[in-house]
Amino acid sequence: MNTIVYLETKEGKPLGGSLELLTPAAALGTVTAVVAGVSPEVAQEAAGYGAPVLLLEGELGCDDALVAALEQVIREKHPDLVLFAATQTGKDLAPRLAQRFGSGCVTDATAVEGDETHKVVFTRPAYGGTILEKLALTGEGPMFANVRTGSYSRPQTGAAAPVETMAAAVAEDAVRAKLVETVTEITELVNLEGADVIVAGGRGMVDAEGFKLVEELAQVLGGVVGASRPAIEAGWVSRAHQIGQSGKIVAPTLYIACGISGAMQHISGALGSKYIVAINKDEDASIFDVADVGIVGDVKEILPLMIQEIRKKNG
Amino acid sequence: MEILVCVKQVPDDYVEVHLDPASGTPGVSAIEQVNNAFDAYALELAVRFCEANGGSVTVASIGPESSQSSLKNLLAVGASQAFLVSDAALSGADEGATTSYLSQLVEKCQAEHGSPFDLVLCGKESTDEISSQVGAMLAENMGVPFVSSVVEVSPCEGGLMAKQETEAGYSNYQVTTPAVFTIAKPNYDPRYPTIKNKMAARKAKIPTFSAAEAGISTQTNRVTCLGYTEPPKRQAGVRIQEKEAAEAVNKALAMLADAKVL
Repeated sequence: MNTIVYLETKEGKPLGGSLELLTPAAALGTVTAVVAGVSPEVAQEAAGYGAPVLLLEGELGCDDALVAALEQVIREKHPDLVLFAATQTGKDLAPRLAQRFGSGCVTDATAVEGDETHKVVFTRPAYGGTILEKLALTGEGPMFANVRTGSYSRPQTGAAAPVETMAAAVAEDAVRAKLVETVTEITELVNLEGADVIVAGGRGMVDAEGFKLVEELAQVLGGVVGASRPAIEAGWVSRAHQIGQSGKIVAPTLYIACGISGAMQHISGALGSKYIVAINKDEDASIFDVADVGIVGDVKEILPLMIQEIRKKNG
Repeated sequence: MEILVCVKQVPDDYVEVHLDPASGTPGVSAIEQVNNAFDAYALELAVRFCEANGGSVTVASIGPESSQSSLKNLLAVGASQAFLVSDAALSGADEGATTSYLSQLVEKCQAEHGSPFDLVLCGKESTDEISSQVGAMLAENMGVPFVSSVVEVSPCEGGLMAKQETEAGYSNYQVTTPAVFTIAKPNYDPRYPTIKNKMAARKAKIPTFSAAEAGISTQTNRVTCLGYTEPPKRQAGVRIQEKEAAEAVNKALAMLADAKVL
């Protein structure tokens, strides 16, 4: 099997989530990693993960141009499978290309496995994560999928594979939606995916003042602040902190859920945590069904005491 | 501006879906069907746009005849007409087939409406399958500009400006019409209907077509579901319920220390 992995980049570097895709792709057969908008040095570095890299050069700063360039690559290379990271970009590019090739497409795959009958079987969550589907793709063109970050670990680096450069010829009329400006509002670095400890807050923190307790506990534990959707919508914290179906999927050693009821849309993003602590005053909250330790109590009483005790321990 | 909003009926996402032990498929039959939340955001955005700039909003849906009642709810909050295609031959469609049916339905709605649509909106994903594919595929199928996760649309010279929500902020895209956008949650909620509008909508007739009447030919699925499972369940652990908060905290911290996660 021949797989193309699209390495999505951010600020000139491949995203970790797209480097991870080299692992399932290599298990299926031969791999080409396609990257655009990076320097030859960065392409060289990416080739250190063992797959040959195809560096696309040209004006590829928007989705329309990328779709056109990747269409060209796929027509030339005839892959059986094309993988993207399940980011906003990956979720836009994969179905658009699938439609161009008359192909099937899988969103948010958590496993991509070889299969004798179906060539590849994909696993993906549906219904907010309570159900997993096993899917196979047929169709005229290659199979397309985007894969959730954290589903695989990235391969070891070793001897560098070759780097090939290709000039992407994007027709002028290929760019239909003109990117006028990109504005960065959220500048803080929130590394939820790599965090060892996450303290997350929800509606039960009541107000912005209450949510500060979540931030304080995260700080004394050296952890990262997470949040469920109500906390984001209330404006207590930026959406870069969101965990769950429409946010980040996390797997820390310790996950402390404060004032979070445990709606599937949220908790499905944290079920990979090793140890879950829940604090909620509603003893029937569904978060307690998945918590290793559940404290029934008012977060506004519990958290200050917990912060104080941990400060004491930290000296 | 003439806007078409594509709406899908989904099981109410406040209800947790589990596998039906008898059939081994998602047990959704007892769950109330509602308009997909992101489609409702799309409708509100479209109605606000037309209130500010003129035009009308049409709703199109494919689903069982029972969808009529949830489509009537949309007539009560600003849609001026709704069309439904109800045909067993179209059920179980994958994203590619749904795209094909929708693009044929857009044609049918245009013929019924009497003028072409300048803008077609879809929710950015449905809350049941959450595959986030149909809007993107529809734009490709129609060969028109596409912007995803849009939270604001405004008129500009030569077409429309779409504000796309991104992970770190937003991007603005300029497009000519017709165009297809998918809609994310804007910073407002869909309006509630007035009693008067609700009464009027209840009496409305929603034209409902078979696939043949709508001029829709079927397409073979490219995605096959081989089966369903449920993810492994976590066991509920220890529950701490103390009168004194300090005691609860001490107990919990001792357990965290024992588990070596602190």
